[in-house]
This record gives sequence, structure tokens and C-alpha cells, in this order.
Amino acid sequence: MGNQAVQQVALRVVLERAIARKSDEYDRLARQYANQLIATKLDKTQVRGLETLASTTDKVSDITDWLKLRVGRDSGRERWAKEGIGRNLLTDLEGLRRDARDIVDKLGVDKDKDPDLERQVHLRLCREFLKHLAAHFEYLKVEQER
Amino acid sequence: MSELAHLLKRKQSIAAWSDRWQAEAARFADSHRDLLPRRITSAQLYGLGNVVRSARRYADIERFIRHQAEKAERAGRLDVQGYWNDLKDALGKLRGEAQALLKTLPFPAGMDSREALDALHRELAELYVQHLIAHSSYQTAGAKEN
Repeated sequence: MGNQAVQQVALRVVLERAIARKSDEYDRLARQYANQLIATKLDKTQVRGLETLASTTDKVSDITDWLKLRVGRDSGRERWAKEGIGRNLLTDLEGLRRDARDIVDKLGVDKDKDPDLERQVHLRLCREFLKHLAAHFEYLKVEQER
Repeated sequence: MSELAHLLKRKQSIAAWSDRWQAEAARFADSHRDLLPRRITSAQLYGLGNVVRSARRYADIERFIRHQAEKAERAGRLDVQGYWNDLKDALGKLRGEAQALLKTLPFPAGMDSREALDALHRELAELYVQHLIAHSSYQTAGAKEN
């Protein structure tokens, strides 16, 4: 393996660790959202739908557009629009961009060489956050239905 | 560059573009917020979304928008006519974006440069409209909350 390839792998390992660390930090906030969402009329499939979208799309904007549409359609304010949950979640997901920037800055990579890295890390962080959220929500839903 | 590498690079470049331009589409919706949801209804916007998704050439999208503008003019709804004309201009300008993106992406196999440009222009318009519809819906919900 050449020197450059070794450096690439090392960088990838550092990046994965940084994302994992952030993911652990998000657990508490994701749990708070799950606690709020459980008090709405949302069911498991709707929250899982958001998680599935996040894990399959290559765009952060697909996730935020999805949420915006759900908030917009919830005229009865019983689901995503209840007590501003969807709006707050949207703001928090968009705010993960700052964490992505911090991670990329600390990596010390040349941003000109990979100008899309920050966006891709942002997408990964959104996926991590929503993975926690969906897991907590499903757990609470089972408890609620017992 | 192999065909797979080309496809991946194209997909990533378009995803990055879409995330970058989400804010621009949201600004368009914000600057026409007084027309939502009564003068420009969600049915009209979803109709636009369907046309944009099914269009085979960019000209099909432009024709639909021009038709909407003409209908509004005949009905004396000049503000609505203005909306559609502004949207026609906004989407038309995306041709320049498509040209810039194409400079960084080789053409897909079997496609000439004009076809490739038109296909990319149509694809960017579809993403812009996706953001526009989502933000307009979200904004309408916000107006109801206030």
C-alpha cells in the first residue's frame, strides 16, 4: 500500500471516530425529541420513514424538504407540526452543519481537494441523529402500547 | 473514467448542487409569500411538481409555466402572472448552472452536448421545484400558526 493510500485510510479512521463520538453526543437530544413525538399522533412508520429516507438519500436537502412538507401538510397540528416539533427538529438538523464543519476543520484536510466533504459529514450526522431518534421512538411506542 | 465512476461523480455533483441551491429556492418562496396559499395554491404547486417530474425536455416545463402565466393574465390576476414569470426566469437561469456543472462532468455515453445540457437543466429544475414546493408548504403552515 502506498504512502498516500495509508494516509487516506488513516484519515478515514479519524473521520469515522469523530462521527461516532458526535453520534453518542446526539443521543440525549434525540431522546428528548422521541419523548415529544410520542405525545403526537405519529406512528412508527412515519418516524421510520424519515430514518429510511436519511439513510438512503445523498442529499441533506431531501431530509429537510421531507420534514418541511410534513409540517406543512399537518394542518391539524397533531403530528409533525404539533407544538413546533418539526420546526425545531429542522433547525437542529440544519445546525448539525456546524458540527460537520468542526469535524472537517479538525481533520486538517485541504478543503480544495475535497470541497464536498463537509456536506457529506453533515449528511452522516443527520443519519446518526435520526437513527437515535427513531430507535427511541420505537422503544417508547412499544412501551406505550403495552 | 469508467462509466460507474462517471455516474457516481455526476450523482455527487448534483446532490451537492441541490443542497447548495435549497436556500435559493426558499428565498424565491419567501419573496412571494404574500401569494401563498390563496393566489398560488398548493394544488398549482403540486401540478408544477408533476409536470417537472414527468417532463422529457426542459421546454415542456417552460411551456407549462408560460401557460400558467397566460391563464393568470387572462383572468386579470397580474400578481399570479408575475409569480409564474419570475419562476420561468429563475428556472431559465439554471441553464447557466447546468452549463457550469457540465464543464466538470463528461457527457454520458451516447448523448450529444445539447442533449446532455437539456437533460441536466431539466434535472436541476426538478430539484429546485422540489425545494420550492417544500418551502412554500412549510411557510404556509407557519403563516397559519402565527
